[in-house]
Amino acid sequence: MANNLPEVDVVVVGLGGAGGVAVLPLARAGLNVLGLEAGTWMNPTQDYKADEVHNNVRALVTTGSKVGNEIPTVRNAPSETAVQQARHPMMNAVGGTTIHYHAQSWRLNPWDFQVRSATIERYGDGYLPEGSTVEDWPVSYAEMEPYYDHVEYEVGVSGVAGNIQGQINPEGNIFEGPRQRGYPMPPLRSCDFLDHMLEAGKETGFHPYRGPAAINSQPYDGRPGCVYHGYCDRGGCHVRAKNSTDVSTIPKALATGNLVVRDNANVRRIEVDNTGKVTGVTYSRDGEEFFQPARAVLLGCYTYENIRTLLLSRSSFYPNGLGNNRGQVGQHYFGHWDIQGGTLVTALFPFDINIWYGAIAQGVMVDDWADDNFDHSGLGFIGGASLHVYTEKHPIGAAGMGTFGKVERRWGSDWKAFIKENAGRTQTAYIQTNTFPYTHTWADLDPTVRDPYGDPVLRITNGPKRNEPMAAAHAADRMEEWFRKAGASDIVNTGGGRGPGLSTHAHGGTRMGTNPDTNVCDPWGFSFEAKNLGILGGSVMGTAGARNPTQTIQALAWRTAEHLVEAWDDITA
Amino acid sequence: MADNFGKGKTGNTEGSSGISRRKVLSSAVSATSVSLIPLVTTSCTTPIQPSGLVLSAEAQPLLEAFVDRLIPADENGPGALAAGAVFYINNSMADWNSQETDVLVEGLFALTRAARRRFDREFTLLSDSNKDALLRDMEDGQIDGFDNSAQIFSRLHRLTLEGMFSDPYYGGNQNYAGWDLIGYPGAVMASSPDMQRMGGRLPPLHTSAYGSDFDGE
Ligand SMILES: Cc1cc2nc3c(=O)[nH]c(=O)nc-3n(C[C@H](O)[C@H](O)[C@H](O)COP(=O)(O)OP(=O)(O)OC[C@H]3O[C@@H](n4cnc5c(N)ncnc54)[C@H](O)[C@@H]3O)c2cc1C
Repeated sequence: MANNLPEVDVVVVGLGGAGGVAVLPLARAGLNVLGLEAGTWMNPTQDYKADEVHNNVRALVTTGSKVGNEIPTVRNAPSETAVQQARHPMMNAVGGTTIHYHAQSWRLNPWDFQVRSATIERYGDGYLPEGSTVEDWPVSYAEMEPYYDHVEYEVGVSGVAGNIQGQINPEGNIFEGPRQRGYPMPPLRSCDFLDHMLEAGKETGFHPYRGPAAINSQPYDGRPGCVYHGYCDRGGCHVRAKNSTDVSTIPKALATGNLVVRDNANVRRIEVDNTGKVTGVTYSRDGEEFFQPARAVLLGCYTYENIRTLLLSRSSFYPNGLGNNRGQVGQHYFGHWDIQGGTLVTALFPFDINIWYGAIAQGVMVDDWADDNFDHSGLGFIGGASLHVYTEKHPIGAAGMGTFGKVERRWGSDWKAFIKENAGRTQTAYIQTNTFPYTHTWADLDPTVRDPYGDPVLRITNGPKRNEPMAAAHAADRMEEWFRKAGASDIVNTGGGRGPGLSTHAHGGTRMGTNPDTNVCDPWGFSFEAKNLGILGGSVMGTAGARNPTQTIQALAWRTAEHLVEAWDDITA
Repeated sequence: MADNFGKGKTGNTEGSSGISRRKVLSSAVSATSVSLIPLVTTSCTTPIQPSGLVLSAEAQPLLEAFVDRLIPADENGPGALAAGAVFYINNSMADWNSQETDVLVEGLFALTRAARRRFDREFTLLSDSNKDALLRDMEDGQIDGFDNSAQIFSRLHRLTLEGMFSDPYYGGNQNYAGWDLIGYPGAVMASSPDMQRMGGRLPPLHTSAYGSDFDGE
């Protein structure tokens, strides 16, 4: 059946945010690397439009055909039947979801890596959220720092440093961990509204700063700076200023001559021998099946497909799925935007703020109410949320705004007069909550729903949480203060969250840690059970910071790839 | 994007970046340094053509009456009808929303049946205030025998907004009526700092993303 192909050193499955970075240190080290990617190359000048219908209404850049065929089902409790939603905006393409993501590019803060021990130390044992399975990461911020640095320089990140080797710069994030040097590019340009919010934030007593972006603020690596046309969200960059991996690290890896990209290759199983060692992968391409042998495999298919691919790859050695002999694959799952993770605060200003153009990553961030940056004594929760205000507003979305109780219906002449005045006067803050794994949040295979190959899709069980909604609501109140200081006349604050749903920031399920009984991956991101299988992506993370995960995912991917190079003999023995 | 799949764009990417070498439009590259790129088309040059009217002769006037009440022409400018929202919705039903057509058309018929029951005439012939009264009930799910009325209202409401405020390329937002209403200047390939200033409205540009100069083709 399957065509057998010649062996390569490393197969990287999925060339998105994670895999697209991992290929670079591997290729530079001289390994013979094959990238198998389910999607294909995008053409920036043809495929990307300054068009809300194309990007947002019809989602023509986002959902890939593979992603669309395998959307996980979701339920709140084991007693419910999980339901499949219609769309999930991840991407199948060389570059993966970094093509249309917002490119806010953060390091996690030191606390995120040691939530458990730091909480116990500061507040005592009883302060950890009930039912949470949170562990300290097996790696500290200080150990991650060099990898963050590689990503900032090789992918390209614009920003203003808040802490260079202990020197605090109040223009940057004063809460960030020390970095060895500043960003390779200054932050994205500001604008009147953001300057206004920055000042208002300071007056409120917060420490606002211009957020970092994996977008060129000036020409970098042979590509131009951002043109701020306002169609970054769910659209690719027509001038290649957004540093998706298909224009940044993957071309650099190809330039070494050691990487081959095979697109339209859908990896269906990871194969093992009778000692449990990975021998390669089986993939489908154009209706044909191939077996690709490899000395080592790195899996980077986004959290959901990472988990599912392991669970589907059963063998006599791993009857419950690859690397799952201790039942940890799918455990410790959690998402940012799922049940009660996020919250919305929308402000109406009595003046035009004109944020039509720009980019979502062109923004101002406040970290004062995130992580453990404030005293939680007596509050009854840990963590918090970041507050982010930004530009980029599209006309259909603007007209569909909430009406702040000022008109009865969202149609008719009254409403028309209302949006005429106000469509350009609102902003919804982006509030991201520290999120943790629990015993009642996990992923497994759905018993009935299948993809077109007949394989079960993933099923997410995502029970209610107490800690995260409290942390989110606390931060949302601070956001309201900030908006008021900036002169907002009306505010809608939805409080503690939304959900259930899938997450574009899905974490866990193949967690990395020191204890093989509670983690799938060892401290370097390799399976405890199948030593030559590394896992890339948010699925290895044990906590979600109060910010988007991709730069951390990429720093981890770099670290895992570099470890493979350094421990090659050991890992592939 | 969706079009890229299954096109057999294979083989040619192995071993090389495969990235299109097509020149990225030079004006866009230098755009950060200039104040405003006039990516102007005076009117939208090539709106997509409808692949035949999807809506029947009975359904079309009902939809027209519906969008006309949702966004009426008034002292604040043209409404959804003059802006071509119906044209947009027809286009959209012709391809993208084709599976939805039957249920939406059935909803419009249910609306006019309700008009007949309550006012003894077709929906299109009601006074504005009677139309609005019925539409409020439709939105609130308060019409007997029209169980999914709230859902249908919400979809048609959404499509009307799309028709009013989308890029004119799709047949609605004609003469930029929708964008002028809310003060969105127009689609550009690059924005200058000045286009992100506060204080007052920005002047209209009346530019489509599909204008002849837009993507440098
Ligand atoms: C609208 C949106 C905005 C976002 N904004 C931000 C942001 O501002 N900042 C941030 O940090 N994060 C953001 N994210 C999240 C970010 O996109 C992800 O964190 C990141 O892309 C994850 O990288 P990944 O490699 O795990 O997954 P992806 O980037 O999705 O890549 C996975 C790749 O694997 C391929 N693949 C999957 N299965 C297979 C298979 N079986 N065989 C072969 N290939 C396969 C896919 O085709 C895909 O190319 C955003 C996400 C969305 C949807």
